[in-house]
Amino acid sequence: MILAFSVGALLLALVLSGLVIGVTRTQLVSNRESGAVVRVATNANIVRSSLGIDGGAANLDLSSLQTPEGSRPIVFQRVAGADGACGTGWSAQDPEFSCETLPPEIREAVLAGAPSKMRFVDRNDTKSLVVGTPIADVGGAYFEIVSLNSLDDTLSSISFTLFGASIATVLAGAAFGWYSARQILRPLDEVGTAARALAGGNLDARIRRLVDPDLEPIITSFNGMADSLESRIEKDAQFASDVSHELRSPLMTLQASIEVLDNNRADLSERAQSALDLLAEDLDRFRELVEDLLEMSRFDAGVMHLDLDEVLLSQFVGHAVRSAGFSTPVVLDEEVVIDDELGDVVTALDKRRIARVLANLLTNAEKYGDGPTSVHVTADDRRVRIMVDDGGSGVPEEDRARIFERFNRAGQASRRGTGTGVGLGLALVDEHVRLHGGRVSVEDAPSGGARFVVELPRVELHPSDDDDTGMIG
Amino acid sequence: MGGVATRILTVEDDERIRTAVKLALEDEGWNVAEADTGEVALESFQREPTDVVLIDIMLPGIDGFEVCRSIRRISDVPIVMVTARADTHDVVAGLEAGADDYLTKPFAPKELSARIRALLRRTRAGEPGHAHLRFGDLELIPDEGVVKRDDEEVHLTKTEFRLLTELASSPGRVFSREVLLERVWGYGYFGDGRLVDVHIRRLRTKIEADPANPKHVVTVRGLGYKLQA
Repeated sequence: MILAFSVGALLLALVLSGLVIGVTRTQLVSNRESGAVVRVATNANIVRSSLGIDGGAANLDLSSLQTPEGSRPIVFQRVAGADGACGTGWSAQDPEFSCETLPPEIREAVLAGAPSKMRFVDRNDTKSLVVGTPIADVGGAYFEIVSLNSLDDTLSSISFTLFGASIATVLAGAAFGWYSARQILRPLDEVGTAARALAGGNLDARIRRLVDPDLEPIITSFNGMADSLESRIEKDAQFASDVSHELRSPLMTLQASIEVLDNNRADLSERAQSALDLLAEDLDRFRELVEDLLEMSRFDAGVMHLDLDEVLLSQFVGHAVRSAGFSTPVVLDEEVVIDDELGDVVTALDKRRIARVLANLLTNAEKYGDGPTSVHVTADDRRVRIMVDDGGSGVPEEDRARIFERFNRAGQASRRGTGTGVGLGLALVDEHVRLHGGRVSVEDAPSGGARFVVELPRVELHPSDDDDTGMIG
Repeated sequence: MGGVATRILTVEDDERIRTAVKLALEDEGWNVAEADTGEVALESFQREPTDVVLIDIMLPGIDGFEVCRSIRRISDVPIVMVTARADTHDVVAGLEAGADDYLTKPFAPKELSARIRALLRRTRAGEPGHAHLRFGDLELIPDEGVVKRDDEEVHLTKTEFRLLTELASSPGRVFSREVLLERVWGYGYFGDGRLVDVHIRRLRTKIEADPANPKHVVTVRGLGYKLQA
């Protein structure tokens, strides 16, 4: 930005300098020309008088003429044998600038009786001006060759000054611009840092007060926004917590009461027992739904904690599969980077969450994929992959993204009405995995069914993380 | 197990929950006493011998944490915290206030019974030949349930004591949190590792000269804990 401005300013300054020099040059040349014309007329008169008095070229003293530095007079006298060609009749103050120096056109024009002037370049490559006027009485002529070099010197010193000043001004402008831009942008840097910190879950992040009063409104409104964001998030978290308490209390009573009924089911009629079973089953479903909703609201409120523990991956997956009530075989695939000592892949993850992820995927396979067929585990240096295959008909391409949305029944419409809810299972899988910085996707299993792939970064715990809780926004 | 005389004090302000839980626990064979506030609970605890205390964290008046701390000052009775939120700092705060274990509402009373039985289980570490264990300035007498540091008796809760004797059963061996969860609390692989961490921390404040730089109960990073002289 500053560079573009600087280049633009520099170009503009150079063009303007060029124009100034052009105009100045024209002006100076025409001044010098008119000065020379007047002077030549005066000097021609002087020459004529001295010619008239003495009547001979021998007595002509050209050095008595008033000529400025760089101006060389040349005189022609119509003496005997003088035909105008260089030689007889010509005399010059400076032998370097004689009849031969004069361009023939002007010599002929003046000798023919017409006062003339012209610019030309002499043998020394010097730009010069020649002004000539006839001396009618004696049939002679007076010429002056004026060097324009001193003019060029003047012009070049002017242009040097102009260009130098332009460049200096532009540089100074650029430096000042850069400095002031930095001054203006520095608070924006702080805004960026604070915004990133906020997005990263650090709700205390604010912009420091700066001395610049111009920026005060921005800082005030940013900090105001952060304040309201913080209180909003705290309110959401408080709400989730209150809802949690309000919902769990009656569930607690229901759960304990149903257990008491179940303890005494022998006292119940068969019809009452059936009703009790329905009640118990749906209480379980309701409890799960409440748990899922609360979990989801915690994700939405952004108040999630990752409780990272180092685990032996395939051992962990085995435990998770069994504790979800499945006996699906767990296969440690080839191309796995394992810890030689422990004979398994070591990585840190939130055990509760990833166990939940696996339970949800297995349950999903059970409901919609004719049951899970195998769970594969692979790992490289950077990530681990846990893949749940099922024996169903797979998930059509167009449903693969939507399937992780909340309450989405993509591809399962035909199975509706079996009494099992769709719920939030896969949406929560997505949230839990993303909280780990991983991703979940669905593809075709080699055996033909659907394969749900959970990809997690392979994490090594640092000593300070030992029994700590990582806050993830 | 769960002898007739075992008395459980449940502290819960919600009457319906209190009643339902009492009914379910009585079905399991426990003798249940109720308290609807922390003040009533403390009074009842001091009046009658109690084997296990079940405390809801959210109570009117003095809260569950404070009830827990008050009881802990005068007794090493097993305490189970009940919370409506499992993933907050409530759990760690409850354990640090002195609770031995926690449950999240809604829980199955049968699960609570299993927890209580695990807490009441006598330590099995008092096997012959292990009558006196010595680790530098630390002395452990499993049979008598006594721990001494520099010949002065240290007061441990039952759970802290079981944790210590478990570690002492194989000095120098590294015990993972999962193993300790299973042996001390009776949990499986998915038990809450914070139970172990907080209890280790509490144990260190009692038996270590400098709890911040433990000499006896040492953390082995990524693997677990071990006991050394």
